[in-house]
Amino acid sequence: MENRLALRTTRRSFLDLLLGAAALGWLGSLLYPVLRYLKPMAAAGPGGPVKLAQEELAKLEKERFVILRAGTSRILVLQDGTQQIRALSAKCTHEGCTVQFVPGESVIWCACHNGRFDLDGKVLAGPPPRPLPRYVVQRAKDGSVTVSPEKA
Amino acid sequence: MSQATPRKSLFGWLDQRYGLAPLVEFAKHKEVPVGAHSMFWYYLGGTTLFFFALQIASGVLLLMYYQPGEATSYESIRYITTHVPFGWLVRSIHCWSAHLMIISLVVHMFSTLMLKAYRPPRELTWVSGFFLFSLALGFGFSGYLLPWNELSFFATAVGTDSMKAVPGVGDWMMQVLRGGPEVTINTLYRFFALHVVVLPLAAFSFIGLHLLFVQRQGMAKPMGHVAPTRGMRFFPNFALRDALIWLCCLIVVATVAVYLPYGPGIPGMDWELGKKANPLAPAYPGIKPEWYFLWIYQLLKEFPPHLLGLEGPQAAILVVAVLLGVWALVPWLDRQARRELPSPAFGDLGMAALLFIAYLTLKAWDIGGKGSPGVLPDPQLVSQACAGIAVGLAVVALIVRRLFYRQNRFFLFSGAATLIAVLNGWAGLTWLVAACTSALALLAALVLRWLWLRRTEAQGAVP
Repeated sequence: MENRLALRTTRRSFLDLLLGAAALGWLGSLLYPVLRYLKPMAAAGPGGPVKLAQEELAKLEKERFVILRAGTSRILVLQDGTQQIRALSAKCTHEGCTVQFVPGESVIWCACHNGRFDLDGKVLAGPPPRPLPRYVVQRAKDGSVTVSPEKA
Repeated sequence: MSQATPRKSLFGWLDQRYGLAPLVEFAKHKEVPVGAHSMFWYYLGGTTLFFFALQIASGVLLLMYYQPGEATSYESIRYITTHVPFGWLVRSIHCWSAHLMIISLVVHMFSTLMLKAYRPPRELTWVSGFFLFSLALGFGFSGYLLPWNELSFFATAVGTDSMKAVPGVGDWMMQVLRGGPEVTINTLYRFFALHVVVLPLAAFSFIGLHLLFVQRQGMAKPMGHVAPTRGMRFFPNFALRDALIWLCCLIVVATVAVYLPYGPGIPGMDWELGKKANPLAPAYPGIKPEWYFLWIYQLLKEFPPHLLGLEGPQAAILVVAVLLGVWALVPWLDRQARRELPSPAFGDLGMAALLFIAYLTLKAWDIGGKGSPGVLPDPQLVSQACAGIAVGLAVVALIVRRLFYRQNRFFLFSGAATLIAVLNGWAGLTWLVAACTSALALLAALVLRWLWLRRTEAQGAVP
């Protein structure tokens, strides 16, 4: 058995193997820094709770919804028919467009591919595969609104 | 002064140093086949190349003023179109020529399919052309983001999001393409590098390869069964015709660029700058990608949230990938044409692809929907109207093919594509159910046809 192996592995084929392995290693050492360079650095984490600015509150009052940034996520804050404040992810679970609140129909709608969600984020119609995640939101006595970065 | 007297002309001087004579000899004997079909189809590769050259020229001019950046991308494009002398014209030409290049490329590709020019020994010419087609789509997609307006922002958000459908490395690819988890100005920087450096370099290489193949093998002759062919000398006869057609293309681009500087106003084919991108604004109603992506956009809409254990978008992208893969492999799938035998099935496959894409694109345009502002068009009405147009197209294609190309007697693929429109638009099935039903009907018809052919063959062999 050993003899047959020894016969098959000539000095040349062994050196070719070494050369091939070295070439692969060399290629890897070239590619790794490039791939690492291309991969974006870790984005900042969710951070603390986000308090709506005055103009965002005004927009919420006027248009019944506002979209704000918390860390890397976009959050939809809306005021439903019973004046209750709700916060959900603004990123459609279908293809990542930004959704909007349609007060007249009391639904959350994505204009890109016509996905519809109820105010709890559940899919009502259209192609989105998952519900919109909800966030904890609170209105203080002084009227200020705070969205906490944890999903509800 | 005992050297042989050198020839006086510049050509002689160069020839002595670089040996140009064999190249001239090659050019003198280069011929283009004159066959049974129209010569028109031979010019389309050239026109595509011409539009590409226009893209490079106008793109370089745009680069003189364009500044990528959060505070400058949108503003510099606005500056180009409003302040820079003839800036509006340069941008308009860049946009128009981009669309015309895609149109020319697609017609070139379909004519290659219909004439079976992909058959051996030209399989790799087809494949290199397929890569050039993918690069052209990449150019369109990456260039779209550069003005940093609302439309481009969501188009990029959707386009890059569909990357996550790729199993395993999808998320990594999406992040690398976006330069982060979301579309930001970092995405624009990456797309800018792709659009002006990476894709042009790749396109130059593939165009070089594609042209090298064509030079080495000459243009494809019509299939052996059609008619014997004569030849037309490339220099000067064909080259001058090429030049004349390019001149016509330039006149067309210049005319439309001047009179319609923001496009013809077809959804997916206009480039009004609009509002600056705002990542915190919701997507606006009626948002659509460019016309050549509309069929994929519509597929994404038609697929349900979940399908066979996959998420809807994942399944839709898988279907697109499989269809494109089949398209790339046509030279090996068409076994009749490989033996220089007529293969009407593959002509019909091209027809079916056109009808399949046309129906989805018409639906994406909401054709037939009552377009009152603020009200979404009724999808039922849209499907009905689009099915009407698709069936009309199919009938026209059928008549034209029966009258002008008598050897065509295969209609199963285009029939199946038409059936999708009929079932979805008129019978009220969802698109996906309609498509699956058509696919099953097609399969059954193919099996029956195969059995029937075998029986007639056996009968023919017995006596």
